Amino acid sequence: MRRALACLTMLGALLGCAPKQAGPVQITLQRFFGACDAEYGSSTNVAAAEGECGIVTTLINKFNAENPDIHVKVNVVYWPGYDQLSAELAAGDPPDLVTMHQSVISDYAQRRLIMPLDDGLASVGVSPASFTRAAREGVMRGGHVYALPFDNWAPLWQINMNLFRAAGLVQGGKPVLPHSPEELLAQARQFKRATGKPYLLQSMVNEPAAYARNLFTFLMQQNAVIFPDPHHIRLSTPQAHRVLALFKQIYDEGLTSKDQDYTAATSGFLNGQGGVYLVGTWMIGAYEQASKQPGSPLANGYAVVPYPQLYPGRDATYADGHSWVMPTAKRSAQKTRAIFRLLRFLKDNDFEWSRTGHLPAYRDVIDSARWRALPHRAGIAGLVDAATPLPPGVQRQFIIQQIVSEEMESAITGQKPINTALADAQRRVNDVLFNLL
Amino acid sequence: MGQTRHGPGRIAATAALALAALIMAAPLLWTLLLSLKSNAELLRGTGTAFAPPYTLQNYADIFGHSAVFGWLLNSAIVSLGVTFGVLALSSLAGYGFARLRFPGRDVIFILVLFGLAIPEQSVIIARHQMFSALSLHNTYGGLIFPGLAAPFGVFLMTQYFRAMPKELEEAAWLDGASRFRTFWKILLPLSLPAQATLGIFTFLATWNDYWWPLISATNSDMYTLTVGVASSQMNFAQTNGLGFLMAQAVFASVPILIVYVIFQRYIVAGVSRAAA
Repeated sequence: MRRALACLTMLGALLGCAPKQAGPVQITLQRFFGACDAEYGSSTNVAAAEGECGIVTTLINKFNAENPDIHVKVNVVYWPGYDQLSAELAAGDPPDLVTMHQSVISDYAQRRLIMPLDDGLASVGVSPASFTRAAREGVMRGGHVYALPFDNWAPLWQINMNLFRAAGLVQGGKPVLPHSPEELLAQARQFKRATGKPYLLQSMVNEPAAYARNLFTFLMQQNAVIFPDPHHIRLSTPQAHRVLALFKQIYDEGLTSKDQDYTAATSGFLNGQGGVYLVGTWMIGAYEQASKQPGSPLANGYAVVPYPQLYPGRDATYADGHSWVMPTAKRSAQKTRAIFRLLRFLKDNDFEWSRTGHLPAYRDVIDSARWRALPHRAGIAGLVDAATPLPPGVQRQFIIQQIVSEEMESAITGQKPINTALADAQRRVNDVLFNLL
Repeated sequence: MGQTRHGPGRIAATAALALAALIMAAPLLWTLLLSLKSNAELLRGTGTAFAPPYTLQNYADIFGHSAVFGWLLNSAIVSLGVTFGVLALSSLAGYGFARLRFPGRDVIFILVLFGLAIPEQSVIIARHQMFSALSLHNTYGGLIFPGLAAPFGVFLMTQYFRAMPKELEEAAWLDGASRFRTFWKILLPLSLPAQATLGIFTFLATWNDYWWPLISATNSDMYTLTVGVASSQMNFAQTNGLGFLMAQAVFASVPILIVYVIFQRYIVAGVSRAAA
């Protein structure tokens, strides 16, 4: 009997055990961007690190090395990690800092699941005035800062200059870009006649967001009101019809690649299958590297620019960004101070992060010579002013993008009339927004 | 009319089976092949997989992650814990339902069978809240306890014990054995084939489980292998990190492959028995 009791006690200890903390203040930082311990596990050389994972890993290593009184424990989660975060919040055991897309902040801020950071950031000398406009719009809700912005990203026109040159679409070493839907169609036809290849490369299959980003961008350029209020979307409009009709015509005339998913389109651009690939800032590094390899279809022939302004409203491109939020929980003053020291450190190293290709979230980095000296950055600097997030109060932006993309795909590929697809998208999104708690 | 050993019918059947085997094995071989290529090469196209150079870098990247052996250990503890727990509880419950007479037995048995019809998704929120209240998240208990409720195991063992001749027990009782001793020394050893079937399937299901560990073991120290390897993927891993992704798939499946090889005989017998 005693033996059985002893066994039960040991079993209970085993089952109930949890790691204890001691020594320096421990901050739990939860992030996506993957794990790369094999290459960067012990490196503090941020300048030598490459890619999102490498740079963020070495940044945290460096912070730990420079701040022996603080230990940042990193929880790497599968992208985007919101299932885990929600589970942790429900269990009352959230991490101290979490990576969050700026488009998702409203979902958590509305429910007070993340904390305003105004006072804490001020205590370490970080002012929202130092943020870029897009970053500020991305992280502020109701006049409060809910996150430290890390970057902004937006879809871009990634251009194969070798094919553009063959199509006669290069002048003065720069790509000739359209300034209206008509010019876009004309240049795309010219490109196809000259090269036999589609002008656009697009991820069009199993694509949860790219269609919506295109639509939002070209609606913004027409000064259309997409969300009259945070609980309603307005898509049954002539402006939206115009955008879908343009993309449908591009599709019908074979001026775009078809039936490619993200992976196929990404490698298709590397292999010279088309002129312009509509994809975000994060691919700049990979394509820049390819442009330096002799024999690559992009060899000495890669450029990247913001979306051209096709409509005479304003220069705008849909944008989102990564940021750091602090989930609501009781924390000691010592730990809170440590968290804000880490946030200050991340802010101070935003240049290093911007080497990933993402846009810096801070004006001083954008204006710095070293950022503009990075490949192609001068060309996309204008994006800082054009980058426009959706209105800050709009929740469920991930699912909204997915719904809009599904309906756009139906319209562009001819499965639904454009008006029907827009009406369906509007109804479905408004259903989602109506049913919010 | 019989066929000769090398008749055209037999050759056609063998060819058809070989083709089917190839179709079945092709995705696995493709996964293995891709895992041996660099991510940069695969970004240009998967056609490069058919030509050298090949590399073990993706595997080195996995083993270079300091936490990977912790994830393996966690998966082993949880899978073995659930497996032994299910075997013990299902055997005891199965024996009780098959051999004991007590008020409400049939009603309780039917209630247990209802458990087969309840999908995990429908109880996950309630379970998560309950485990939160008991502070069981991020513990081995939190990962093991949900797996112990195994209606299929109870059903399987009940049917197995029912099929055993009662004379075996009666003989033991005549020799003065208690009911528990009869169960432990006579019936339990005879139920080993069913135990093996149940144990193997429970182990495999627990090893491969992703959802519950994802939301219960949120601390990276408590990740199981499935959650751990998923967390180490980069964004757009299917595009930018395809070789690493495939190496992870191979790595995660190796322990399962070993289980299959060792227990192949029991697995085949178990599947046949379940089908019967």
